[in-house]
Amino acid sequence: MQAPEHGTLTRPTPFTREPLRFLNEEGLPEGDRDPREVTGLSDAQLVDLYRAMVLSRKVDQMGWILVRQGRAGFYISIQGQEGAQVASLLALEPQDWVMPYYRTPPALHVRGATLVELFGQILGTNADPSKGRQMPAHFGSRKHRIFVLGSPVALGHVVAMGAAKALKYSRENAVVISYGGEGSTSEPHFHSAMNFAGVYRLPLIVFIFNNQYAISVPRAQQTASETLAEKARAYGFEGYYVDGSDPLAVYWVTRFVAERARTNHTPALIEALTYRLDPHSSADDDLKYRPREEVEAWKQRESLARMRRYLEHLGLWNEEKEQALHAEYDRAIEEAVEQAEQAGPPDLEEMFHEVYHTTPWYLQEEAREARRFAEEQEGSHA
Amino acid sequence: MPEMTLVQALRDALAVEMARDDRVVVFGEDVGRRGGVFTVTEGLQERFGEERVYDTPLDENGILGMAAGMALMGLRPVAEIQFVDFLWPGFDVVISDIAKERFRSGGQYGVPLVIRSPYGGGVKGGLYHSQSPEAIFAHIPGLKVVIPATPSEAKGLLISAIRDEDPVVFLEPKKIYFGIKEEVPEGEYTIPLGQARVVQEGSDVTIVSYGALLHEVLRANETLKQEGISAEILDLRTILPFDGPTLLESVAKTGRIVIVVEAPRILSVASELAAFVAERAVDYLDGPIVRVTGWDTPFPYALEPHYLPNVRRIVHGVRRALGLVP
Ligand SMILES: Cc1ncc(C[n+]2csc(CCOP(=O)(O)OP(=O)(O)O)c2C)c(N)n1
Ligand SMILES: [Mg+2]
Repeated sequence: MQAPEHGTLTRPTPFTREPLRFLNEEGLPEGDRDPREVTGLSDAQLVDLYRAMVLSRKVDQMGWILVRQGRAGFYISIQGQEGAQVASLLALEPQDWVMPYYRTPPALHVRGATLVELFGQILGTNADPSKGRQMPAHFGSRKHRIFVLGSPVALGHVVAMGAAKALKYSRENAVVISYGGEGSTSEPHFHSAMNFAGVYRLPLIVFIFNNQYAISVPRAQQTASETLAEKARAYGFEGYYVDGSDPLAVYWVTRFVAERARTNHTPALIEALTYRLDPHSSADDDLKYRPREEVEAWKQRESLARMRRYLEHLGLWNEEKEQALHAEYDRAIEEAVEQAEQAGPPDLEEMFHEVYHTTPWYLQEEAREARRFAEEQEGSHA
Repeated sequence: MPEMTLVQALRDALAVEMARDDRVVVFGEDVGRRGGVFTVTEGLQERFGEERVYDTPLDENGILGMAAGMALMGLRPVAEIQFVDFLWPGFDVVISDIAKERFRSGGQYGVPLVIRSPYGGGVKGGLYHSQSPEAIFAHIPGLKVVIPATPSEAKGLLISAIRDEDPVVFLEPKKIYFGIKEEVPEGEYTIPLGQARVVQEGSDVTIVSYGALLHEVLRANETLKQEGISAEILDLRTILPFDGPTLLESVAKTGRIVIVVEAPRILSVASELAAFVAERAVDYLDGPIVRVTGWDTPFPYALEPHYLPNVRRIVHGVRRALGLVP
């Protein structure tokens, strides 16, 4: 999707007590501003945004299916966050860099990652740019300017901060966006990232999905701050509190702070209010800590339904288009999964490569030993 | 005696100690309402209240700092780190404060606390849900390191760890959290720290292991028996202070030793035990000291089955120790 032509957007208000939004819970515009004017998004771009959200949802659904079928070992869901995730990625430029967190991958097709690559990561095959080294939900791809995340919560924030310093150092006109959940704001890494970003005026956007739970721990037990966005104040820059189920508001705020960061190196914190619709992961049982009714109530307010109703309201979408889109994506996803699986598991030697740039003698020895055991094992099964 | 899984035995140990001693307090990420992501603390908050069993923010530095401060003031905190792979944001507290509190204060202060944490591979957890960093902790003077291999051991060792005057890093082999059941003594049951268990007596070779891999060693033993090899199998249980006398006694008897750990080999616990035996028992040795370990790589995801020591590699190690293969 092309970025809108006109340069500077109107400035969103930082540090609001209510989340910024254009669309109400029915998906209808509220207030006196036309979101298309404020965001600069054309009709075609609005449709593209929605399509990308639907694709992310469908990639996610396939992730769950692969776990149930035993083809993937683990899965962690984006459902409930598609609007904020897709809109914030679309608000960036190709030269920008992305530090994902584990719920980001189903949306990374927005950056150009192919479905085969995304499913290759989930399945741990050679189709994964990282060669199946990590568990599902850890997609990264250098050619798409997507860093490879590790599992420790908040680790990405502090490293993204360093990447932003490098961009500033080499006078590149680009930003780094670092994603995380509200739980990540409790870690020391978050503090270091925020503090350094403020001190060195770095082109860093820390984007926090406040989905209201960190596994079972509710938001109120994570911090005594009224909002997460307000934490930015203490580090000397602005924080924005935005309704994460309103993709238009997320797009606006992200695009604004990214443009500003590219031109005058101003960091920003964004808090997107969302809700995790699924259990924390395929290993979680969320009924142990939250009532089913709460989840059901949030399903009525989430971004996909809202965005669809908005498009219908504008006369840009209907049931027929919805059906056709699903059919198209079903086919594409099925094909991608098949191709990703056919790429096959990584070769045994891959375990010993890339521990270092040049493999030292003892690892070469270990690789030979491992190969011998694997061959014996195969021989004994024959 | 009731049959329990490792998780049930740990829960039982916590309940026994909490009932006996109101200085014992349990906290960490998701341990309260959720009862822990592996359910070890399930039901404890209902039973003992939110002041004694509670959830913390997502911050290992905060958790470990809180534990250190509480222990300093005379409480007996049992802090859970959800996976040991995630302890490192709080490592400064462990290495700089907890481990050194007694020594630096000339014995005025001590921090009798337990850091409980699941560790180890075998669960398709990839790089950060599989690691075995016991040697990293054992390298820090002032810490004790304990790893149970069975439900009874889990209970007896955890109670001892809570009662110990020194800080204990208590690593739980998550691979066998639910897979093994056995009868576990009821009520107060302790196993002294610092003592290995002779799982099976034998005369040809000593095999030392601990944690989930002990069970792989027992499977390998079936093959060894068929080959007429009599193995003496030791379950180390306490990594530090490790049970030197039992180890030496066994090697004096068998003259051969194989050490089996799942951590990477270089500077591992296997390395320390090998050096210890080489220094103290070289006269008894009739063959090479053999280490069977994880490879010296980060823990892989897709290739995990090739990473962990298995029966084939253990048997091969024993044959090498016996001089049957090069
Ligand atoms: C340093 C660290 N501690 C603990 C964990 C285990 N863990 C994984 S996700 C998670 C909760 C994260 O919550 P939040 O940051 O709100 O993100 P969400 O999953 O809600 O999107 C925890 C505790 C971890 N991965 N890393
Ligand atoms: Mg959260």
